[in-house]
Amino acid sequence: MLTVFWQRLDNAVRMALPFATAVMCTLLSVMTLPVPYLGTIAPPLALIAIYYWTLHRPDLLRPSMVFIVGLLNDIINDFPLGLSALLFVSAHHFILMQRRFFTGHSFMMTWAGFILTVLVVMICQWLLLCIIRWQGVPLQPVFVPSILAIVLFPIPCWIFIRLQRNVLSQG
Amino acid sequence: MSVRPHSTGWVHIAAMPWRMVAHRFSFVFFLILAFGILVLGRVQPVMVEGVRTHVVDSLAPLLDALSRPMAASENAIQSVGSYFSLRAENERLRASNAQLKQWQNSVVALQNENRELHNLLHFKSEPGVSYISARVIADTGGAFVRSLVITAGKLDGVREGMAAMTGDGLIGRVVEIGDWSSRVLLITDLNSRIPVTIAGSGDRAVLAGDNSTEPKLLYLPPDTSVASGAHVMTSGHGGVFPPNLPVGVVKETSHGVYSIVPVADLGRINYVRLVDFNLKGGVFNPMASKIQAEVKKR
Repeated sequence: MLTVFWQRLDNAVRMALPFATAVMCTLLSVMTLPVPYLGTIAPPLALIAIYYWTLHRPDLLRPSMVFIVGLLNDIINDFPLGLSALLFVSAHHFILMQRRFFTGHSFMMTWAGFILTVLVVMICQWLLLCIIRWQGVPLQPVFVPSILAIVLFPIPCWIFIRLQRNVLSQG
Repeated sequence: MSVRPHSTGWVHIAAMPWRMVAHRFSFVFFLILAFGILVLGRVQPVMVEGVRTHVVDSLAPLLDALSRPMAASENAIQSVGSYFSLRAENERLRASNAQLKQWQNSVVALQNENRELHNLLHFKSEPGVSYISARVIADTGGAFVRSLVITAGKLDGVREGMAAMTGDGLIGRVVEIGDWSSRVLLITDLNSRIPVTIAGSGDRAVLAGDNSTEPKLLYLPPDTSVASGAHVMTSGHGGVFPPNLPVGVVKETSHGVYSIVPVADLGRINYVRLVDFNLKGGVFNPMASKIQAEVKKR
């Protein structure tokens, strides 16, 4: 009986991995690092996690989880509550719709899909912020975090692939 | 890499269309929910800001734990670096010490003179200043907001509107307080407006953040020319900050637009000092004033 319980718990923890990594990425993106002005150019790491797990394990990253990650991102970053949740859930749906196209060919295709996703999400975020606050938010600062996310994309991906192979495949 | 089916065989095939419907339904549901929360945030800012404060407060220990290894490694690197520059540092400190001793003599003489003059005029002294030091645990906002989360809250005596400073000068003010953590809005944030004065000329202006590293000087008197390098201090108007807190230095003048370089290094803030000047003025924060108005209405 106890063995079954531990097995189920172990399985549940494994299955929560995509959500846990997305939450961790959200927290890591606001961490204070000894790099000047990193906070202003921090890449949207949560979006990388959402993109990867939606492509590779959509059964483990439900819209409800994406919604929670979005709300957490809004709360921590002092964005209007619901903004990232709205964008992340939309991005999740878009990635899911284009899943076959983004995963079918090569890693370059996956990368290209991410470039499209991050640019659309960041520009939509800027646009919605301008509308919600009813003031002109500068667009220029949007590009450095987006470019950083695009350039750094293979590193978190490599970590997620390892986690998927070593943790999820044993479940 | 592929999706794992929850079940196999005919059950899985039969469940496919239902799963598609369920997914589409949940997508629409969460989209509407997110939109609803966005609207609620505009209509009921008190409730939404309360939720935000509580969640950040609950996450503060986790953010603190995550930031500690990085702070420790930075300290270790700095210690190693300072070990190699001990001799030069020692020379510099000796020179600085000699200079400070001269200053000390002048300060003591001026203090005595000041006290005597106060006694002569029966001058009512200003309320005392108290300090709270806190560590930065999150540098938040990314491209759109310039704010910090720090490890001091209501239980430590933090109050909304307190001036946040480093050793060099003003960096912002407290806009959100939890029990154990607070959020500091930096002077570079788009929503930051600080009444300032130009040292020397005495011209007044409003320092407005624009999310860049160099906030702009707005509402200067017409036909004013400000010299590059002039010091900018708080003016004390509006009752948010006391006068003469160092803020920055005027950097460039192009087509009558003046920007300032903050005296504090805003790119590398590990610790902040919250200063309570015991002022009775309001908080210069559009969201806070909206919330206060709503509270009064209730």
